[in-house]
Amino acid sequence: MSEEQIRIAKDLLTEGVGLIAAAGYINNEGGQAIADAASELMDQGCKTLVIDLDGTRIINSIGVSILLEILEKLMDEKGRLAFCNLTPTIAKTFEIMGLVQYASVYPDRLAARAALEGHAAV
Amino acid sequence: MEVVLHLPVVPNAELVAAKAVETLGRALGMHQTQVEAASVAMVEACLNAMEHGGGPVTVRLRGDNHSRPCLVIEVEDHGRGFDPERAPRNSSSRVLGSTSKRGWGLTLIRELMDEVQIQSAPGKTVVAMRKYVESAP
Repeated sequence: MSEEQIRIAKDLLTEGVGLIAAAGYINNEGGQAIADAASELMDQGCKTLVIDLDGTRIINSIGVSILLEILEKLMDEKGRLAFCNLTPTIAKTFEIMGLVQYASVYPDRLAARAALEGHAAV
Repeated sequence: MEVVLHLPVVPNAELVAAKAVETLGRALGMHQTQVEAASVAMVEACLNAMEHGGGPVTVRLRGDNHSRPCLVIEVEDHGRGFDPERAPRNSSSRVLGSTSKRGWGLTLIRELMDEVQIQSAPGKTVVAMRKYVESAP
């Protein structure tokens, strides 16, 4: 599999909290793959989503704009968005584009789970 | 040491340039975080050039040690050009809730690189960027 092709896995992190693990290039295709996984988890009743970017080192603004759309969709449903395992550059990019003003950032999946457990059943 | 790339306008061609940033940045002794910041800026510059340039994009990379060691990146296209002073400076407050979330390229380039110069006229635009070398710990 080529380095740029995104690899997506989704699961339940805890009750009501969906987890999307995304590794690869987050461009328009990568962002859309994450958005599709987010929609599926929201359809299953998840109002809180954690996007784990372990293995993602390169992004572009088109991909991040799709993440902004996921954030808006969750905010419309009174849900929450969180990220974990961000590289410093991706964290800075999210800060510049305003994602971290409305989404939570955790160092890793365990920290996200510990913080979000009990907050999901809204 | 200089690397010159002529990128066709095909999906993910910008990643070839990002790979060159990674290789040259490491050769110059840049910290991984700086390499990744320069790579994202490079990707944004290439995407802008491919979208607005109307044809192949030329990328030049080199190390420069004139005042401080740095990685120099130039991205050149041959589109109609633009006025850099009038280019949008996005902010998240303008983007959330808006139907259009595009237009972040120059904002990211300016924030992620140490120096940015844009020369643009009809037929030739060059975005020149510098990232100073901060050695790996």
